This record gives sequence, C-alpha cells and structure tokens, in this order.
Amino acid sequence: MIKYLLIVMLTMLPLAAQEVKGEMQVPYIPYEIKMGKHFDVIQAQCLMCHSFGYIINQGPQSKAFWSGKVKKMKNAFGMDISKEDTVSVIEYLFKHYGNGKLK
Amino acid sequence: MQRRDFFKKSLAVAGAAAVGNSLEAASQPLSGQKVSNVAFPQKRPMITYSDRPPLLESKRDVFSQAITPNDQFFVRWHMPEIPTHVDLKTYRLKVDGEVENELSFTLDQLKTEFEPVEVVSVLQCGGNGRSAYAPIAGGIQWGNGAVGNAKWKGARLRDILDRAGLKLEDYWISFYGLDKAAYYKTPNFIREMHKEELGDHVIVAYEMNDEELPYLNGYPVRLIIPGYYSDSWVKMLSNLTVTKKYQELFFMDVAYRVPDNATESEEPGSHKKVKTKPITTMNVKSMIGYPDNGTKVYLNSHLTVRGVAFDQGKGIKEVSVSIDGGKTWEAAILDNGKNGRYSFREFRYTFNPDKYGQQKIMTRATNLAGEVQPLAEEIGWNHGGYKYNGIDIVTIEVV
Repeated sequence: MIKYLLIVMLTMLPLAAQEVKGEMQVPYIPYEIKMGKHFDVIQAQCLMCHSFGYIINQGPQSKAFWSGKVKKMKNAFGMDISKEDTVSVIEYLFKHYGNGKLK
Repeated sequence: MQRRDFFKKSLAVAGAAAVGNSLEAASQPLSGQKVSNVAFPQKRPMITYSDRPPLLESKRDVFSQAITPNDQFFVRWHMPEIPTHVDLKTYRLKVDGEVENELSFTLDQLKTEFEPVEVVSVLQCGGNGRSAYAPIAGGIQWGNGAVGNAKWKGARLRDILDRAGLKLEDYWISFYGLDKAAYYKTPNFIREMHKEELGDHVIVAYEMNDEELPYLNGYPVRLIIPGYYSDSWVKMLSNLTVTKKYQELFFMDVAYRVPDNATESEEPGSHKKVKTKPITTMNVKSMIGYPDNGTKVYLNSHLTVRGVAFDQGKGIKEVSVSIDGGKTWEAAILDNGKNGRYSFREFRYTFNPDKYGQQKIMTRATNLAGEVQPLAEEIGWNHGGYKYNGIDIVTIEVV
C-alpha cells in the first residue's frame, strides 16, 4: 500500500512541478555599520524592521533628515521607543551618517 | 564602497559647480556599484542595498537587451516579513468589499477560469536613479537599475471583478499583499487605485517571461499596471477590496508622492509644506546598457552602443546619441517595437571613436507625444528623489 502511494505521489509530482521548493532562505548580509555610542539602541530598535543596509544606503544626511526618519518610524510605522532612546538614535545617526548640517 | 561612491558623486557635483551649474542640480546616478557576493533565491548576485527587506538592483549591462531576465530583475520590498513559503493548496486571491459576491480563487482557477492575456511592460521603482539628486534626497540611493522589462501573463483585473459583480458606478480598489510588518501598529503595504486608472491592460499576473514569478518578484501572483511606477504593482497579491470611498492609507498619502506643480519639484531645504500628488505614470527615459563607465575600446574600433528606452506607454519615437558632449545628436537604430508600447525599446548606435582618451556618450529619448528626456541638471529636485529621468551618460576610454 505504501509503495503504491509513493508511486502515485511520484507520478503526480511532475504535474505540480514547482520551481520554488520548500522554504525560501533570504540570505543574511553582514552590512558594515559604524560602532559608537548608542549603537546598542540602534541594534535593538532599527533591526526590528530593517537591515543596517537600509541606514547606510540613505547617504550622508542632515540632522533634520535623520530626526524626520526616526519620527516616521515612530509615528507612521509604530516603533516602540522612549523619548530618551529617540534622542540617542538621532545622535548616533547624525554622528556617523550625517552630512554635518543641521537642516 | 558606498562611501567611495558618495565621495565620487560629490566630486562630480563639485565639478559641475565649477563650470557654472548650481550645486543643487541633479547629476548622473551612481554607476558601477559592486555586485554582492551573495545570491538571493532564484537570483544571480546583484547590487544589494539591504537584505531585510530585500533591495536588489540590476547592473548596467542588463539594459542592453529588451527583456530583463528573471534572475537579474530588480527587487524592492517594504516589509520585513515576507512569507518564506506560499502553499498553493491554501493560497487564495480574495475579492471582497462592495461586490455582489465575495469570491476567492486558487492559482489554478486564475489560470484556467479566465482568458489568459499577455503584456510586455516595464516595471520601474519610483526612486530609480534617486542617487542623481543633489542635495541627496531621502531614501535608498538607487543607481539606474531599479527597473526591468518582462512579458507578464495573467488574468485581466476587469474579468476577475466582473465575476464578483460590481455594484457601484464609481469605486476604488485596494490591493493587499502577503508581506507583513514586524509591529502590529505598522501600516500594511496596501495600494489603492481609482476605477478610472484600471483599464483592460491591468492584469493579475502568474507568469513572468514564460516562467512562474520568482518568489522575490511576487510569487504566486502580482498586479501589473503598465505605464505606472512599481509602487502600485502589489506583490504576492492576496486581496482585492472594492470600496465606495478612498481610504486614507500611509503608503498612498505619505509615501511615493511628488510636488503637485508643473515641474513636480521644490526648493531643497525650504521645509515648506508643498501640496503633493502620487507619482503614478512614468516619464520618458533611455539608459545605456553598453558600454559602461571606464570601458576601454581601441581607437577607430567599431563601437556599438546599446541600450533601452521607454515611457508610460505613449510610445518611443526616437533615441538620439551624442558623442560630442551634447552639441550634436544623431538618431540611433530602434528595434521594431513588436513588444508593444509599454515595453523597453532596444536601440543601438555604432561609431568609430577617433580620439585617444576619454569619450563621453549621451543618449536621449523622445516619445510620440513630443516629450524629451531632459539633461540631469534640468531636473528639479523633490524631497523623495522620485522620477529621475536624466539623459544617460557614460564615459569610456579610447586606447
């Protein structure tokens, strides 16, 4: 009986042939992010939703830009973050991925 | 690597300033970015800006052919959680809201119960070429490779809606995908379109270039809206909801918008709130696939420049090429256009480089409505860095 079932299954396979077999594995890429004060907060908050690549590939930006991004993550995307950590994240981003301009 | 690119770019901008252009003009997008040494599922290694969500860009040489291969087609997701497996036994496309009968379809039903139709169409991210803008616009600094062209096969959206029965004269449709946010509070990636925007050319596609859709391009089905930027081409489509009124949604009301004025631009850094509108349809553009910046060719060799041109479906009339820095232009040879008005048109142009050293090659597309691809520095800035379509330029070396 088991043998019979196997044959049926095997003969059915080509009909239902899928190029996508089983679970997909999206690879992990170790993006090189700068270490520094408040990195622990960045790691805890930002990685919840996106990779470091998402930060690095925004290009160097103003403090107002990073502040706006953090606000967007909080208000539009629902990031759960304290006031204190919000300040830390902005400080880190502007220090390491800033363009030196406040606005 | 990225830092070096930005440095290179700021040098290029500084160079433009030296000859009298504004510092706040667009220049060429990043070019020659390194391809990752890691391949994503069903993809060759690509330029990889992020792994979660996956953001993959095609290399320049992919654009020397009209059809973009599935394994080199760009990828852009918004949410961190993409299902790692779609079980076709349980997968359903649901049609609900203001319809006579709420229905759901298996993939097999979509394939067999509706007339299959095909369309060859460009799929382009609204932020493609964003890295050309100065000052640097917010968002991923894409080069020119967040675009591709494929033959899509599927069922007409109209046929699916007709089956469910439309009750309203006027309606909106929201499109939902299977990707999920990490936080409960994060808005889902839902797009919304008005009835008027959804003609018979809009399809629910289950095939891409005669194969099933790659997982990262929206397997098992995605929405195809020829002429529109890809923000509305919802991937892993799960739900079509018909509503009487426009629903206010983050990804419609805040993201993917440009200033609502004639030039779709604004003053950088002014912080004035400008009225905006969705990015919707694509503008006229050509891109060079070969050669690349820094390609070495011999003096008096017959060099064939190859590339692609497209617009929102009005149709490409001409691609012209300049090898003297934009002083004179000559028509390139266009393909026969058999792929239709929403497709890339291939072009080619052969010349003999007759001077040693750097040789600039520029390409400019014009469509049947008379719209001409502008020079990068003629394009006004917008804060989201959307809709860049500057004349493409590569600089080769003649040896």
